Formats: sequence, C-alpha cells, structure tokens
Amino acid sequence: MNIDLDKMLAKVRSSQWALADIDWDAPGAELITPEQWPKLKAFMSDLMWIEHVGARGFAAMAKKAPNETLKQLYIYFHAEEQRHANTEMALMRRWGMLDGEEIPEPNINLRLVIQWLDQYSDDMPLEVLGSVIPMLEIALDGALCKFLLDTVNDPVCHQAFARINDDESRHLGVGFHVLEMQGHGKLYRMALKALATTLNPKLMLGILAYLPLLNRMRDNIVTMGLKEESLYSAMQKYERIGGRTAAGRRNPWFQIISRHGRLVVNRKHFYHRPVDALVRLTDHYPRRLLRPVPTWVKQLTYKTTA
Amino acid sequence: MSRNTVAKKAASRRGGAVKSNAAPADVLIVGAGFAGLGTAIRLLAAGVDNIVILERGDEVGGTWRDNSYPGAACDIPSNLYSFSFAQNPQWSRGYSGSGEILGYIHHLVDHYGLRRLIRFGHTVTSLAFDAGQGLWSAGIAGGKLVTARAAVMAQGPLSNASFPDLAGIGRFKGHKIHSARWDHGYDFSGKRVAVIGTGASAVQIIPELVKQAAHLKVFQRTPAWVLPRMDYAAPDWSKAVFSRVPATQSLVRGAMFWAHESMALGMIWNTPMTALLQRISSGFLRRQVKDAWMRRQLTPDFRIGCKRVLMSSDYYRALQQDNCELITWPIATLSEQGIRTAEGLEHQVDCIVFATGFDVSRSGTPFPIAGLDGRKLNQEWARGAQAYKSVNIAGYPNLFMTFGPNSGPGHNSALVYMESQIDYIVRGIRTILQQDLKMLDVRAEAQLGYNKGIQKRLSRTNWNSGCKSWYLTEDGFNATMYPGFATQFRRQMKSFSSGDYLAL
Repeated sequence: MNIDLDKMLAKVRSSQWALADIDWDAPGAELITPEQWPKLKAFMSDLMWIEHVGARGFAAMAKKAPNETLKQLYIYFHAEEQRHANTEMALMRRWGMLDGEEIPEPNINLRLVIQWLDQYSDDMPLEVLGSVIPMLEIALDGALCKFLLDTVNDPVCHQAFARINDDESRHLGVGFHVLEMQGHGKLYRMALKALATTLNPKLMLGILAYLPLLNRMRDNIVTMGLKEESLYSAMQKYERIGGRTAAGRRNPWFQIISRHGRLVVNRKHFYHRPVDALVRLTDHYPRRLLRPVPTWVKQLTYKTTA
Repeated sequence: MSRNTVAKKAASRRGGAVKSNAAPADVLIVGAGFAGLGTAIRLLAAGVDNIVILERGDEVGGTWRDNSYPGAACDIPSNLYSFSFAQNPQWSRGYSGSGEILGYIHHLVDHYGLRRLIRFGHTVTSLAFDAGQGLWSAGIAGGKLVTARAAVMAQGPLSNASFPDLAGIGRFKGHKIHSARWDHGYDFSGKRVAVIGTGASAVQIIPELVKQAAHLKVFQRTPAWVLPRMDYAAPDWSKAVFSRVPATQSLVRGAMFWAHESMALGMIWNTPMTALLQRISSGFLRRQVKDAWMRRQLTPDFRIGCKRVLMSSDYYRALQQDNCELITWPIATLSEQGIRTAEGLEHQVDCIVFATGFDVSRSGTPFPIAGLDGRKLNQEWARGAQAYKSVNIAGYPNLFMTFGPNSGPGHNSALVYMESQIDYIVRGIRTILQQDLKMLDVRAEAQLGYNKGIQKRLSRTNWNSGCKSWYLTEDGFNATMYPGFATQFRRQMKSFSSGDYLAL
C-alpha cells in the first residue's frame, strides 16, 4: 500500500468534523431495546476505551515519526481517536448509559494497558506500535463497528460511525503504508533489531498487559453476541493486507503480530490456557498497586462544546 | 557634505526620469524603529545630515511601538538591549517592558534631534535605482517620490503582522486581537479568552491575561524550550552609580555580553553545553509543572536552539492556574463561537488573541525593489534571500540593509548586531559621498563566496537540525540567522574590503 503522505495529510486536514456536527437530540434513541441496553452499555464502554488507548498509541508514535508529515499525521490521528472515543461517549449519554458526568469505568486489563502506555509507550520504537495499531484498528473497523451497526438501528449511531469509519480508513491506509515502509532494509538487521526490542523489559510488560486484554475483549464481545469468527476474519485481514507486498512481509513485527493473530484465532491452541489464566489472574490484581489515572484520560468528554 | 552641494550634484545628474519635487537627500532611511534611528544617529555623528527617514506610522519606535500587549518586554537584559553609544542608567528593571524601551527610543529621538528628519505617514511602496543619476527613488503611497543617493532599508524583520491563515477565521463572531496590534480598549475581565500560539509574545501575554480573564484557553502547536528569566527591579544605588560613573555600566554591559556570548556554544552548535542547557530547561519544567502529561505536552522534541528559546519564569505557573487550560489538539477550524479542535470539541470563547508572530520576509521583499537594469530583488530572492555581509546586494548599488539576510542572533542582543551593521553602513555611505560615487556595488562573486561560507557554516548549526521554524523557508533554506558568535559578526563588519566593491 503506497500512499502519498503529503496528500493524505491535506485530506486529513480537510476532513475534520466535530461532535457539534451531529444532532444528538434527533429521534432514534428509543430504538435501543431494553434487552440490548445492558450489553450495549458494556460494549460501548470497551469500544470507547480501546479508541482512547489507540489515541495514546498515536501520541507516542508522533514522537517517533521519521519525518514531519508522518508526525503531523500521527498528531491528527491521536486527536481523531480521541474524537471517536468522545463520540462513543456521547452516544452512551444519548442512550442514558452514563452515570452523570462520570467516565465509564475501564476494566482492569484496560487499566493496566493505560498504565503501561502512560509509563512506557513513549520509549517504544515506532516499529512496535506501528505494527500493533493497524491490528487493533482493523479489529475495530472490521469487526466491532460492523457488529454495532448490524445490531443498533439508531440513525444517529449510523451517522456517527459513518464519520468514524471514514477516519479509520485513512488511519489504516497510513498504518499499512508505514508497516511496509519499515520492511525495507537488510533483513538480518531488522531481525536482530526486533529480537533486541523483544528483550526490552518495558516491552515485555506491555505484552503482559496486551495479551490478556485481547482475550478479555474477545470474551466480552462474544458475550454480547458477536460471532467470534468475525473478529478472527478481521485479524486475518491484517495478515492479508499487511502481507500483500514483499516489504510488508519482510517487516519482522508484521510477522510476529500476524503469527500471534493466528494463535488468537485458533481457540484450541495451547496459547489460550496461560493467557486465559492471566485474564483470571488480573481480576485479582491489587487495585492499590495501580498508579493514579493519568490526566490524559480525564480529557475524555461527551460534550460538544467546552 | 552639505545639503546644497548634494542637491546641486544630484540636480546636475537629473535627466527627468525621477519625478520628485524635492532635491535628492544624501540618504533615505525606511523605518523609524531602533535600526533606522540608530543609523541616523551614527550618520549625523559622521557628518552626514541630509537624511530623510520615511516612517509609515505616526510615531517612532517600530516593533516597540506596535507591541504594547500586556507583559510585553524584551528577553535580553536592557543594559545590553540598548545602544552602546547611548546607554541609559535609569533602566528600572533587568528586563524592561515595552513602554520603557519605547521611552528610551523617544529619548534618542529628542536627544539627537531626529524628529526633524522623519516624515511620518510615509509608507514606502517601492524602491528603484536610476543608474544614470546614481539615485534611489522611493515610491510613497499617495505621495510623491523621495530620492536619495543612498537608501537604507531599516523597516525591520518583525514589522508586519497579520492574522494567520486558519480555516474559518472569517466566521468567528467574537473579538479578535493580534498581539502586535493590541486593543487596549477591550476589557478582558469576566471573558472567556483563547490565545493561539505559544511563542515569545504568548509567554508574556498569558501570565497577564490569566489574571484578568474568567477563563483562558491556550492553544499550542509546538512547545518551545523555556529558560527562567532572571528579572529584577534595578535598585536606586545602581542607577546612581551608572549615572555618575558610566564606565561601570559599560562594565556590566560587557559582562552581560560575554555571558550571552557563551550561550552560543550550546544554542548555535550541538555541543555538550546544548545537552546541559536542555537539562536545565527540562529541570525547570519538572520543578514548575507537577502533572506528567502536561510536562509531556510542554516538552519540545527538537534540539534546544533550533527555534527561539523562550525566557519566562511565570509562563508555566500561569498555565496551571485554575482558570487556564492548555490545549494541544490541532485546530480544525474557527467557528462562529470559537475554535474547533480535531478531538471534536468546540471551545467557545468571547475573544481570540493571536500571538502567532510576524510575516517574516525570508524569500521576498517588503515592497518591490528594482536595481540595475531593472532587476527585481523579490525574483532574485524567490528561493531565499542572500546578501553580502547581510548589508549589501550585488546589482543594487548604494542600497544598505539592517537585519538583512543572515544577520539574526539566537543568543545575544540584536542591538549588538545592529550596531555593527550601522557602523558598516555609515562607512559605505561616507565612501559614496566623500568619493562622490554614483554607484558603490558589491561584486557578485564576493557575495557568492560570502554566502557559500555562510551556508556551509549554517549546515552545522542547531537551526538547520531538522525543526520547522520561522528562521527557515519552506524548502529549509536559512536566510535569517548568522552562524557564529556576535564577536565574529562584529569582526566581519569592522573590515570594509573595498576590493569586494565596484565603485563608479
């Protein structure tokens, strides 16, 4: 996927929208059924947090961008992911799912990922975040959002997600472009660098936070009625698009993440035993060991104006 | 040389091409700011008194007349930000405010009797050289041409300010103020105010506005390195000592000069001192800002010195006031009621303050300038301005500039550089007048050689280390800064190599 980053930046700049562009009081909120409501509330909360976590990932990537255009794109993507989280929070408010002014509580795995992002994401090389983010985006785009639109009839939700999906398609375009960009160079050098990075204790902690989050999200989503297969087919899409060119396939991080994707997809694989155990273990993670919620989390809002 | 002599000589050359109703002056100076007035003072001291200063405003002072926003001050100590030949023992503070600096400029005008030379309300629209007569003629908006044997462009690099080209800027229905055109009639109390920009002007405005406004939102695009400003109220005894024994003030000025000069080691080039300065600045940020995310938002990701280093001891504190908010999301557009940022919010405000800097001319000229054979300077400078020693341009005889290409300092007082340029200009003009030259034109090869050296040296500086700043053109060409110590600049301006000029 070869794109002109300068043209993409111009496109991003000219495609900005605001929460105020959506009529949050328009009819349609009543189309959420009482049966749907509790599951949708949990789903939207997770979705919102994933967007927010993705936003922080882009903020870290902006610090590592190899050129000014890419840096600007990541600065915008950081803001746009935040906009998506804000939009999803506004939808939750429309559907009466917010407890006053409170931001929905993130689950423990999200808390651990937030904590890791806050402490270490700025120290991660671009290759790592640049390979993981497209995976998360494709899962969001291909599975979660589609599921939401298939099950929710509220036209305001459709209107909001039409805008979100437009943004996400640009994020994915740039994401796969960068994935391939990082597949150029001597293979042995890239492989050695990737190996050295995997030995970084900060990254290990990140993996420990990321793996159970993925499995917990899978469990949550399945509980809500999403077919596991649609999540898996989205993950396979990552492998298909990312591996379309030789450069993409040569990127060691693409190889690591797509192979990990195969493990996640295969429910019978031994991989799930320790990771599912980790999910259960994190339920008992002492809350007092959690650091205070970083202030970037407090910037989330459902409001259209400030 | 007397006014009459010059007039007669010029009249004898006149062939009717230049339509002016007055005899040509010896020198016309564009701008009555520090540079224009300083040039006039030194020319008068050198015996050149047939001078015309063309000023578009109705008062002197240039940038210090225009920048009267709350908190406006110079970030170089006043003892160094003043002319060495006209020191002021009465500075009330270490870093004086714009009002006091403007007062100093008025004092210069009165003390040296400059007002008689100034034509206020004269906006120069063009400069053209008539080789046959050896005269520059300045077109004046709505007025007659003004002619002179030599012209000095002292309009200043930071004299034109306009609202930035932001999407939707015309839609905003609230009040708009530019930092360089302050609206002193606007009452900020109880208002929701936005400040766009976090550069040198903004860090001075924000601490003042936060005291007045009900709510202040600061929109930052790129954070800058900030160092504390060691400001102090000057005690009466030091003023008395400076008045009675001026040599003591010169000594203090000298010490300040060398202290600033040493900063070049860290700010201009990447040396261990660069890392040290960054650590000092980071330490200052850590000490002043408690929240880790806010510190991250305020931490630059470029090398110190690459952009202008800001001097402020109260900026970080102001940002953390309860009624202040730092917003780092990109601005998407302005709306009727405020500013929409890319995270989807509309920040509704009553007033927007644009602290967005100046329209610095790096690749053009402030007005059309025509030299020998009708050559146009803005065409020659389209890919970046170039000059000889920042003062002369080949093909534009008898034309001199203050703060011409590559004369900007990043670490020391601009007035130190300006004085060196002025003395050089005075030598050039005296040469023209004393030798009764029609043309004193720098040789193209001398200019080329000089610029090759400058650009080679610039490539090794922090300014050219990859950040985007107003020092560089869109293509990354540095036509603004001088890559060296002020001492080196002074030395280069001391020698006037007549071999580098063509004299006719």
